[in-house]
Amino acid sequence: MLTVFVTGLAVGMLYAAIALAYNVMFSTSKVLSLTTGHLAMLGGVFGAWFIQAWQMPWWLAMLGSVAVGALFGLVTELLAIRRVLNKSDEHLWLLSTLAVATMVQQGVALWWGTEPKPFPRLFAQDFGVGVLDQKFWLPIGATIVMAIGLSLFYRRTMYGKLFVAMSEDAFAARARGISTDRIRMLSYVLSGALGGLAGFAAGQLTFAFFALGHLLTLNGFIALAVGGLGSNLGALLGGAILGLLNAFASYWFGGEYQQTIAVGILLLVLLVKPEGMFGSRNVRPV
Amino acid sequence: MNAPTSGLKPYALAVGALLVVALPWLAGDQYQLHLAALIAVYWILVAGLNLVIGYTGQISIGHVGLLAIGAYSFTILTGKLEWHPGLAVLVAGAVCGLCGLALGLPSLRLPGFYFAMATMAFALIVNELVLANDGWTGGGIGMPVDIFPAPFDTPVGYYYLVVMVALAVTLLTWNVVRHMWGLGLVSIRDTEVTAQAVGVPIFRVKLTIFVFSGIAAGVSGALFASLQSYITPDTFVFELSLFFFVSIIIGGRGSIVGPLLGTAVLTALPELVAPLAKLGNFFYGLLLLVVVLVVPEGIGRVFEVLQERWKPRKVANETVQPDLVRLQRALAEPGASGAAPPATALRKPALGEQA
Repeated sequence: MLTVFVTGLAVGMLYAAIALAYNVMFSTSKVLSLTTGHLAMLGGVFGAWFIQAWQMPWWLAMLGSVAVGALFGLVTELLAIRRVLNKSDEHLWLLSTLAVATMVQQGVALWWGTEPKPFPRLFAQDFGVGVLDQKFWLPIGATIVMAIGLSLFYRRTMYGKLFVAMSEDAFAARARGISTDRIRMLSYVLSGALGGLAGFAAGQLTFAFFALGHLLTLNGFIALAVGGLGSNLGALLGGAILGLLNAFASYWFGGEYQQTIAVGILLLVLLVKPEGMFGSRNVRPV
Repeated sequence: MNAPTSGLKPYALAVGALLVVALPWLAGDQYQLHLAALIAVYWILVAGLNLVIGYTGQISIGHVGLLAIGAYSFTILTGKLEWHPGLAVLVAGAVCGLCGLALGLPSLRLPGFYFAMATMAFALIVNELVLANDGWTGGGIGMPVDIFPAPFDTPVGYYYLVVMVALAVTLLTWNVVRHMWGLGLVSIRDTEVTAQAVGVPIFRVKLTIFVFSGIAAGVSGALFASLQSYITPDTFVFELSLFFFVSIIIGGRGSIVGPLLGTAVLTALPELVAPLAKLGNFFYGLLLLVVVLVVPEGIGRVFEVLQERWKPRKVANETVQPDLVRLQRALAEPGASGAAPPATALRKPALGEQA
């Protein structure tokens, strides 16, 4: 039973990390990018590649994964977001991020192969330790560090405050002389780094697998929608709830209906409380 | 809005129809005929989806789930329950219409990204359910599909069958978009708030169109299964949704001919050009990105621009001469001229005065 709980929590924290990455991007651009899950997929795949093919120590591989994630975030912003936001058509960013997500997924599939490959162990550890295994506490720890780091970043640093200003009112921020384009680019780099780190930390749990992206995009979004768009605390709680419910549901009913349950939760939350647990209701259609 | 449709010359239509009818003789081998039938089958789904994406602007990336439901319903009905295939196609369409209703009722209330996610989740759920209920669906191994009886059991006969169905669906969608319904759909796509303000029942319109696209997807799925003759969950990968999607976006939103050409070209191109087949979905993704960044209105727009350049539309310059004499007279004494309404008609009836 404890194993089920810890597994659920670890998976949930991975979803929460994706939700955090969504939040960072959403705060500056009001875009929910379909590439978000692919950030973590890249982190996992490149982490495994760095360690196995290049024989890097784990910390260097981690930095490499974070760098790959950040780079992909930057590319997404330059390719799919910048020009589309200038055109200000509501749906276009959905299409362009879907295109970028597909391209990176197929690129990884062609290069890395379509089979899930095991992620190497980062620390020497006995396999018999059960719930204390690194594959559980690595994603949990990484996500908690991320959430605390983000909170400090937003409150203590100049750039963090610029992010907050832009998420409150982009036009006002621009009027005050903030280069909103640069801040948006930085937010995509930051969110890419977070996603890459999450994918690296959860690599032993998820394996290095090219098709993870869409699944993580969906589940991270469900965590975010349950917790409330824009709230980091909500992202953590939403992720935890989703992961735990999934784990216990597959423990009791069998693993066949995992996505069905997750999506059931999503629809229920959206119909009953569309703004999520901690989100702010913001209705302004005109 | 639908300039490509209305600008189509009758002789182009006639040539197209002749080409479609004569294709079994023109096609070099069975494989090309199979490809032509596949295009028609995909088009049945895309025609319905086009109303959802191209006209109403609702980004559904889960139609592959409806395609799978149609295919599996058809296979189970004909294989396990031994129904007549023709009846099974209709029932598969009805089943998918109901599934579209069940999916659309909650999710069409949601704004753009949420709706896209709900439909994507739907596609994943369908795959999961297919794998879980292997007693009915054959699980990951899949199962063989019956073919149609007598006149349609040859490749040529089957080709004519799917082309007829595709034609019927095209006529239906064409009829929808060229009347008030089409304008309502476009108004929802362009500005939902304004559409609501002028009295378009947004949710009802969206739901009706979505259910219609579900029925089309079901019929398409049934014919698709029969064409493939063996189906597994691997047939209905998520990327197939992307393919439908790209066909519509490339062809142009708000047009019927554009997506039709898009479907035909995108189905045939990777089969005929070998390197593209290897790149597969990467190619679709790249195409989608290029179109979104360069010509968001679709390739059809490029043709319109080129046509404009080669053969500029004549804009007649007519100077309007104001009839100053009559205007002056009307302004001077209202009621004197025949053009202005008599003043008594505008006067409010006083109390006690009954008409």
